[in-house]
Amino acid sequence: MIEALFNEPAYLAAKKTLDAVAVRQEAIASNIANLETPGYKRVDLAPSFRAELDHACASGDPQQLAALKPTLATDTTAVANSQDGNTVSLENEMMQLNQNVMTHTLETQMVSSLLFRLKMAITGKSS
Amino acid sequence: MIQPLSGIQNTAAALDAERTRLDVISENIANANTTHGIDGKPYQRKVVVFQSALQQAMGGDNANATPTLRVARIENDKRPPVQVYEPGNPDADARGMVSMPNINIHEEMADLISASRAFEANLAVVKNEKSMAMQTLAIGKH
Amino acid sequence: MSSYGMMPNTDMVRPAATPGVDAPMPLDQPKEVTPGQGAGESFGNVLGKFVSDVNTKQNVAMEAVDGLQSGQGVPLHQAVIAMEEANVSFQLMVEVRNKLLDSYQELMRMQV
Repeated sequence: MIEALFNEPAYLAAKKTLDAVAVRQEAIASNIANLETPGYKRVDLAPSFRAELDHACASGDPQQLAALKPTLATDTTAVANSQDGNTVSLENEMMQLNQNVMTHTLETQMVSSLLFRLKMAITGKSS
Repeated sequence: MIQPLSGIQNTAAALDAERTRLDVISENIANANTTHGIDGKPYQRKVVVFQSALQQAMGGDNANATPTLRVARIENDKRPPVQVYEPGNPDADARGMVSMPNINIHEEMADLISASRAFEANLAVVKNEKSMAMQTLAIGKH
Repeated sequence: MSSYGMMPNTDMVRPAATPGVDAPMPLDQPKEVTPGQGAGESFGNVLGKFVSDVNTKQNVAMEAVDGLQSGQGVPLHQAVIAMEEANVSFQLMVEVRNKLLDSYQELMRMQV
């Protein structure tokens, strides 16, 4: 019954995106840590996640949204730019890192604002 | 053990490895002219050999296991010492030739820059990860 | 271990809420007067379900925090969000309790 408070699709999508951001952060951290590892192939969030999230959002089904699980996958599109077969490019990773931090800020604020609105509605106070 | 910053172990391991690399490079630069080391021979250039080790992601989630950077060993450079004519040097042989360590300062400097850039990149990851954790902890606090 | 920590909270609130639950008793009487409307759940049942839902929320949050503390790979944000959701639910329950108690007392003060 109380779950109805937290079943807004936008809120669930924000939570799932936060999951994805956490996985992505792990991927970027690993890529940067292995900048010098010979033969290392860069990893990223599985590319299918975005489409799955869009699909679940369009359906508006809370269960379908809750069942989504972001995973790590090797980036097959990245090409090695050095002799040792390492496919990590530092500049690219730094850009992705900053992008990820911005997404994280956005999503935490979205989650925060819904919780804040709920609190306001419940207590009738604006702080 | 509580892990508020996920995936930070890899970064820490990489920082460690890059730090070792920086130490070795500075040792090489410092000893660029050492003709008489502890063993009586000219200094030999050292190289760091990196190795990748698979670290299990915390929580036993094997699908998300990512490799970490490790220093496998520190080896001597295989290049022979350079012979320099310097008859006045106490380490000179009968023909006045001195064996100098085969260290190219420019090569070392290039290595130093790439190592410190990698180190800084890992530091940036730690910094960002921390700010993200702080934002997460502020959810619902206005 | 810590999930038990939350139990006394709801247990503590439950007896306090009982006057609120009992209060609708006189309200039930008009229902009997006009039959056909009593098809739904009783108000007491709805309240009970509500309270146990809030309790479940607290337990879920405590599980998430336990998972984080024992390093079972629960991400930080999931634990924090679960805690905040439990918080909001609890706040809602307390507000509902207060409102019910207020209306009960108002009814008791009513001059007949």
